[in-house]
Amino acid sequence: MTNYIKWVSSSKRSLWRTIGLFFILMGPGIITSNVDNDAGGITTYSLAGAEFGLKLIWSLIPIMIALIVVQEMGARMGVVTGKGLSDLIREKFGAKITFYLMIGVFLTNMGNVLSEFAGVAAGMEVFGVNKFISVPVSAFLVWWMVVKGTYKSVEKAFLVACVFYISYVITGIIVKPDWGYVLEQFVHPQLSFQPSETTMLIGVVGTTIAPWMQFYLQASIVEKGIKIEDYKFARFDVVMGAVMVHIVAFFIILVCAETLFKHGVRIETAKDAALSLAPLAGKYCTYLFAFGLVNASLFAASILPLSTAYLICEGLGWEAGIDKKFAEAPQFYGFYSLIIFLGAGIILYPNLPLIPIMYFSQVLNGMVLPFILIFMLFLINDKKLMMNHTNGPVFNVIAWVTSIVMIALTLLLIIRML
Amino acid sequence: MDQNLKEFYFFSDFLNRRVYNTSRQRVGKISDLVAERAEPYPMIIGMMVRTKGREMYLPWEKIIQIEPQLTLSAKELMDLKTSLPEKDIILLKEEVMDKQIVDTFGAKVVRVNDLHFLRVDYRLRLVHVDAGFRGLMRRVGWEKLVDQALRWFFSYVLPNQFISWKYVQLLSGSDLLQLSVSQKKLSHLHPADLADIIEDLSGRERSAIFHALDAETAAEALEEIDPKIQKALIETISVEKASDIVEEMSPSDAADLLADLPEERAEEILEGMEQEKAEDLRELLVHPDETAGGLMTTAYLSLTPGVTVETAIARLKAEAPNLDIMDYIFIVDEEEILQGVVSIRDLLTAHSQQTLAEIQPTRVVSVKLDEDQNEVVEAFAKYGFRALPVVDEEGQLKGVIGFRSVLDVLAPDAG
Repeated sequence: MTNYIKWVSSSKRSLWRTIGLFFILMGPGIITSNVDNDAGGITTYSLAGAEFGLKLIWSLIPIMIALIVVQEMGARMGVVTGKGLSDLIREKFGAKITFYLMIGVFLTNMGNVLSEFAGVAAGMEVFGVNKFISVPVSAFLVWWMVVKGTYKSVEKAFLVACVFYISYVITGIIVKPDWGYVLEQFVHPQLSFQPSETTMLIGVVGTTIAPWMQFYLQASIVEKGIKIEDYKFARFDVVMGAVMVHIVAFFIILVCAETLFKHGVRIETAKDAALSLAPLAGKYCTYLFAFGLVNASLFAASILPLSTAYLICEGLGWEAGIDKKFAEAPQFYGFYSLIIFLGAGIILYPNLPLIPIMYFSQVLNGMVLPFILIFMLFLINDKKLMMNHTNGPVFNVIAWVTSIVMIALTLLLIIRML
Repeated sequence: MDQNLKEFYFFSDFLNRRVYNTSRQRVGKISDLVAERAEPYPMIIGMMVRTKGREMYLPWEKIIQIEPQLTLSAKELMDLKTSLPEKDIILLKEEVMDKQIVDTFGAKVVRVNDLHFLRVDYRLRLVHVDAGFRGLMRRVGWEKLVDQALRWFFSYVLPNQFISWKYVQLLSGSDLLQLSVSQKKLSHLHPADLADIIEDLSGRERSAIFHALDAETAAEALEEIDPKIQKALIETISVEKASDIVEEMSPSDAADLLADLPEERAEEILEGMEQEKAEDLRELLVHPDETAGGLMTTAYLSLTPGVTVETAIARLKAEAPNLDIMDYIFIVDEEEILQGVVSIRDLLTAHSQQTLAEIQPTRVVSVKLDEDQNEVVEAFAKYGFRALPVVDEEGQLKGVIGFRSVLDVLAPDAG
């Protein structure tokens, strides 16, 4: 690896040098964005496609821009300060605020982990595997990969996992959509303010920009040790990730719109979506769709517990890190195990009211996100912290507007759900 | 002057506490405490008060009483200024609270949850940093609740986790400029502990603490640090300082570090070093990492066969500070061809007038320069030596592999 970096940085041809450097530094942005297309994300996109067809597809573009704006700030903070987000929040806003924020983040992430294991269970049931087998096995796999592997190998495994999202793109092409019509939906978006549509729109926004992502992205940028000179590569990585996640989201909506919506099939979960595809588009589509769901859920389930344990310990000042022994970092391993066991355990409980749980987790997400966005904006404009890498006036306006719109939408979501 | 002080206080007792005038009207609240930067226990010399939207400095002497209400005369209130005293001071909230510090006694990085002050002659002195859960709960306002709940359910008394201020090394703000004074606290630490601490820190704090070390301590710590962080640290300091530090490192560790750096940077560092040391390193740099040549060091003692035991011991004593390999003396002829190896035990048990040739064991084990590192490990395991000489095709002694380098091969992630 080191030889490779040396070869790249000494390479005379600037194009190769640039491409090489990008491949070395890529990862955090792409991984974060792809984890974003988790079980909750796939469910929401499927529902959006099945209920409203391509009507909401235009919204992916503004959401993508918002995602880029928010993620870019996190990446920049990571590169400039070399610290995680909860660390920065603790140092700037003090113990009290951090403590309550950590409780909020723990609960939302717990809800997310729950929905990931639900996604694994649902996806594997399509293949005929009972959840009492698939969930414990995947929980063990997640735990084992992180505790026994190193960050490098885990990251590589995750980058490979990103490739499997292509299963949705293939499904999208198999269903043979009318591309002219699809394009028109982008060029001439139809805005209507029916309550059901706005609720769905808010759901799509809420699942795409989640609190945990900001912590995770910044932490992995710090972990990678990216220098300020190389920041442009990290930024490109973030943009690439945001574009990728929306391409996948686009194809999920497309598949559901072209099949389920056209035939008026009503669904409630991503598993329904996968199963309903068989009679309309063939059983391969069902398998591909379910495979994508399992992959995404497993991927997110590997990242979320670890990232949650890290950020809580960092914020509250406990030792953290997978290179530490249990006795050195009991809180870290305690939280890590608790999240996995609770997440997997609750799913195994018979007749679990899954849909209310998912809703509740969405509401929590929505309650925590505004605080995090505001904290981020204060932090990134702190001259002492960011030196000359604070937001410029134009970017600041964009960032504030994005955040305020996000906050307004998530507040609306909470009001709708309560 | 009696301000009616209690025996001890926590920082959380003061933060956001209201300030009143003599007619019991609220005039502001405390936003920070100001301590004099003095060893070992800094005295509180005043506080920052937020009044009418502005931060004012309130010297301690001007406070009429602290308990039960923090009171200030109306006239003094008018005279408050925004400017801080000229003295060397620490703003406790700004620079200490919620920040990471190094506990040099426990050799670890902790986060400050609260500060503990004791009354000494009508003044408060900062004596402890509270890094425990109790302190965190106190900040959140749940101390009583959590404490009583734990007592009730588990008969467990939530302890305070105090660290004496004299063992505290600050990492942020103005203290970094002061490190030459307080650096003594850091030098208590074992280099391996210092290395762990540097690895645990992030960003500016990491490089700041590294900058503050003298070349020798920095070199010792650097040898123990993860190669990726090593590289990043060396890149943050000036070439001159880097040269000084690399010069102090053991040649095998120094060569590994230089091999990871961009070629131009490594060359600049080498040019800033002593000629002889630089030459040694250049030689080591030629060999690939995974071979015997990549593991070896050049800081060993080699003598000719005719040297007496007495002279050999004297030479070993004289060279000791600069040697990586202390367990053996290597015997070479005029062409630097390896003839034999003498251990310290051999030297100490021989007569002082015997020559090295007379006491050396008949067989000598060595490895070739391009031998794979796994073969080297096997040789160590087989013969049980603490160091192995490395020779080239002609049998010339090129370097020696110490036991520590083998540990790095076997357990790269340990320590």
